[in-house]
Amino acid sequence: MSETTAQTEIRSPTDPESPPFLQIRNITKRFGAFVAVDNVSLDIHQGELFCLLGGSGSGKSTLLRMLSGFETPSSGQILIAGKDQAGVPPYKRDTNMMFQSYALFPHMTVEKNIAYGLKREGVPRAEIATRVTDMLSLVKLNGFAARKPNQLSGGQRQRVALARSLIKRPKLLLLDEPLGALDKKLREETQFELIKIQETLGVTFVVVTHDQEEAMTLSTRMGVMADGKLVQVGAPHEIYEYPRSRFVAEFIGSVNIFEGRIEQDGEDHAVIGSPDAGMGIYLSHGITGTLGQEVAVAVRPEKIRIGKSPMEDLPNTTQGTVDEVAYMGNLSVFHVRLETGKIISVSQSNLVRSPEDAITWGDRVTLGWDGAASVVVPS
Amino acid sequence: MTPPPLLAQGLQGFLNGARRIGLTGRGLVIAIPLVWLIVFFLIPFLVVGKLSLSEAAIALPPYSPLMEWIDGVLSIHLNFNNFLFLADDSLYLNAYVESAKIAAVSTFFTLLIAYPMAYMIARAPDHRRHLLLMLVVLPFWTSFLLRVYAWIGFLKGNGVINTLLIWLGITQEPLRMLQTDFAVYIGIVYTYLPFMILPLYATLVKLDKDYLEASADLGARPAMTFLTVTLPLSLPGVIAGCMLVFIPAVGEYVIPALLGGPDTLMIGRVLWNEFFANRDWPVASAVAIVMLVVLLVPIMVLRRAQAAEEGATP
Ligand SMILES: Nc1ncnc2c1ncn2[C@@H]1O[C@H](COP(=O)(O)OP(=O)(O)O)[C@@H](O)[C@H]1O
Ligand SMILES: [Mg+2]
Repeated sequence: MSETTAQTEIRSPTDPESPPFLQIRNITKRFGAFVAVDNVSLDIHQGELFCLLGGSGSGKSTLLRMLSGFETPSSGQILIAGKDQAGVPPYKRDTNMMFQSYALFPHMTVEKNIAYGLKREGVPRAEIATRVTDMLSLVKLNGFAARKPNQLSGGQRQRVALARSLIKRPKLLLLDEPLGALDKKLREETQFELIKIQETLGVTFVVVTHDQEEAMTLSTRMGVMADGKLVQVGAPHEIYEYPRSRFVAEFIGSVNIFEGRIEQDGEDHAVIGSPDAGMGIYLSHGITGTLGQEVAVAVRPEKIRIGKSPMEDLPNTTQGTVDEVAYMGNLSVFHVRLETGKIISVSQSNLVRSPEDAITWGDRVTLGWDGAASVVVPS
Repeated sequence: MTPPPLLAQGLQGFLNGARRIGLTGRGLVIAIPLVWLIVFFLIPFLVVGKLSLSEAAIALPPYSPLMEWIDGVLSIHLNFNNFLFLADDSLYLNAYVESAKIAAVSTFFTLLIAYPMAYMIARAPDHRRHLLLMLVVLPFWTSFLLRVYAWIGFLKGNGVINTLLIWLGITQEPLRMLQTDFAVYIGIVYTYLPFMILPLYATLVKLDKDYLEASADLGARPAMTFLTVTLPLSLPGVIAGCMLVFIPAVGEYVIPALLGGPDTLMIGRVLWNEFFANRDWPVASAVAIVMLVVLLVPIMVLRRAQAAEEGATP
């Protein structure tokens, strides 16, 4: 792997040259007339932690359930390690699933729950015992073996469910909202544990989540789903910085959108005339599109500079009045009303505890951003 | 809907009365079933208990009093001979054993038939499920006696089943089915089936589909999933259903009387004979008391086990 990719991607155990471990080809799932998953194609490589991100009802779980064999695709093909999975029942697949509800067997102890998969395989009893013990220490549950699920906290149950789904050493682990039932603080801690376990075992993870921060934190690559379609696939920073549609731009993080028309489109720059912004927005790169075409320009709040003095070094500047200030601790978010009436949100790190020239309500301010700060998406 | 004024007044009066003797809300809720049990269970039980300790007599009522007050002497006669007599005559022991056997076998077959039915109803789509449940309780709309009589029509020598068998050429002679233990089994299984289906259904319908999928996902075939997940999780329903069938089946009188033969020996019939044929009320009462005690033992053991189970998993 080259130096440059190692720099941009922090975790990248993937060898893009090898054939994909999981191949999803034109998968569609219909429930009656309703299309839950719409012509999805996706390749996932060995060792990836892939997140499927999407709103509620976007078809994430349905896609996952087709991978584990609980739903049959209406059309399309799923290959795991090159083998077509059509007609293979769940109990014969090399995948394991961690359920959103955890689905821990209430009548079995933690130990029995974790051992369940190995017992079905007919693994010798002594080996089961050592593997269960190992798994218990991996998920830090030593000493809980004899408890029943209803004697555990939410976080402990989550870890039992994870242990149970990992005990058979699946090549592919499917996790449906694995942290959904945990409170915020526990969820953030568990995210890092999950990553550590995934890296330790080298198992390919496909994680379903509706939480974009979680997807960003967890994944080596992610796919955004909407209305059953996979709308964009890429590394978290690609999806954040280069959303390919207005939907993705707005779904991931917050963003300012300016409607406009392409006025200039050169080799190394472009200008979008935007009545919204009351100016021509300058971009330091060429775009695809015809002159006059309607497009939208997306600018993230943290990429906009806010200040009281003019910003001659920036190609895009405009003025407005501060409508609202939200103090969030690590940063402040300003809502600035432009002369056109458009409200722009700008965030700024709070570098100093109480700056003397702090921007407050009603201040006249200048906003500015760089030519590389914005992206153009189809309107 | 407003209750008619008379009923409302009566209820109000009752509530006022209850309050006067120190009963309100919660207390009343507990008191009502308690009063019910005292009036309809405890008092009759004590009456029967008292009867079982008296002596048979040719009189009206046909037993001697327990206590006598003669010339300033209070004499209490506790006659345990009735119980000793039960132990003496093997007829009674046989009847108990036979009843328990018939009830146990019937319970087993009821369970065998009810489980798949309950399972299917619980897994059926919503709209169909309500219809199926309706069908399960539909027989209750006609008299139990009538339904047992209907079985006579099916089972007798020239009944529906025999006619069909002969017409199909499976047998030449009509099979003797009526007045056999076989007919009694059929009657009990048929009659008590809903009592088994309903508690089974209640536990199976609550069974989360995720458990079954988790089991399959971990490599269990459907049959294995049934044995390791479905069956253990539906055990409370199995136990409740078996109790609801076994207990009344032991004391069943009507079914063996109508469908059974002369050699079908069940404790209900013995009881009937003692009361009405022999007019030996004290022995009949002793039979009833022993039956109650015999049935109480398994119930207590079971409750103890359930309590222990719940205690272990709070
Ligand atoms: N068994 C089913 N029958 C009918 N509709 C279903 C079924 N399973 C899921 N759906 C529908 O498919 C859509 C996608 O569901 P799902 O994959 O669970 O979404 P999510 O992205 O929230 O996990 C939803 O609108 C849901 O109602
Ligand atoms: Mg879901």
